[in-house]
Amino acid sequence: MPSQRDVTLKTGVELGPVVKALTQAKIDRYARAGGDGNPLHTDPEFAAQTQFGGTVAHGMLVLAYLSEMLTAAFGEAWLAGGRLKVRFRAPARPGDTVTAAGRVVRSEGGGTVCEVECRNQRGEVLVSGEAEVSA
Amino acid sequence: MALTLGSLPKGHRFPPVEFALSPKWVREYIAAVEDAAIGPAGDALVPPMAVAALSVRALLEQAGLPPGAIHLGQELTFSRALHTGERLTAEAAVASRGERQDWVLMGVELAVRDAAGRPVMAGRATLTFPAGGGGS
Repeated sequence: MPSQRDVTLKTGVELGPVVKALTQAKIDRYARAGGDGNPLHTDPEFAAQTQFGGTVAHGMLVLAYLSEMLTAAFGEAWLAGGRLKVRFRAPARPGDTVTAAGRVVRSEGGGTVCEVECRNQRGEVLVSGEAEVSA
Repeated sequence: MALTLGSLPKGHRFPPVEFALSPKWVREYIAAVEDAAIGPAGDALVPPMAVAALSVRALLEQAGLPPGAIHLGQELTFSRALHTGERLTAEAAVASRGERQDWVLMGVELAVRDAAGRPVMAGRATLTFPAGGGGS
């Protein structure tokens, strides 16, 4: 099981990134697991008529990549005392390589606050926000 | 399902929904998101986003997302680590609803408790979708 890590990492420390190659098959698989069959994610014909011009990944799928990074960095402290606040800035699309990254911005009260984000292979920010892990 | 989030007013409270973190479903979720940090550990810990996803799925069985709905923002707080086999109860409410330029902006608050009634997760999702796409 993920061990309890030191949650008071020094300011400026970068978390180990998580990199995922996104495909329509993965989006479809997540749709089945998550029970979210919104056609914006799974129906190319429908999605082509929207402002996105094609299917996009579920926001919660992209957040799972951030959570994986935070689990790797903080172990059970993330599972038992994590807080995440993010905004979705741009869609993640099939064919994208999504990189979840984070950096410690301050440690306070025994916990750690990180800036977190996901970018695609063009460097476009897909998700950005803040994660906090309590001791 | 006829009811969608689009037809719900501010203040609407969803009936509590009970669900279990079945080992089979958790395995499917971990495979779907390719979680390499928790998956190989194999000691029945559940990724916290899985709890969020399953809670949302349970709620979407009561009121679906309008076609074209877009997830704008998400807040989540996790209170304790969860394990496969646990039974949870999710409650949600439409915390805010506004309309601008033919799009609805909605905030949905979510609270999840364990079998003992202790909070395990709380969150708020901000969604937008075309006005008039709310269904009946």
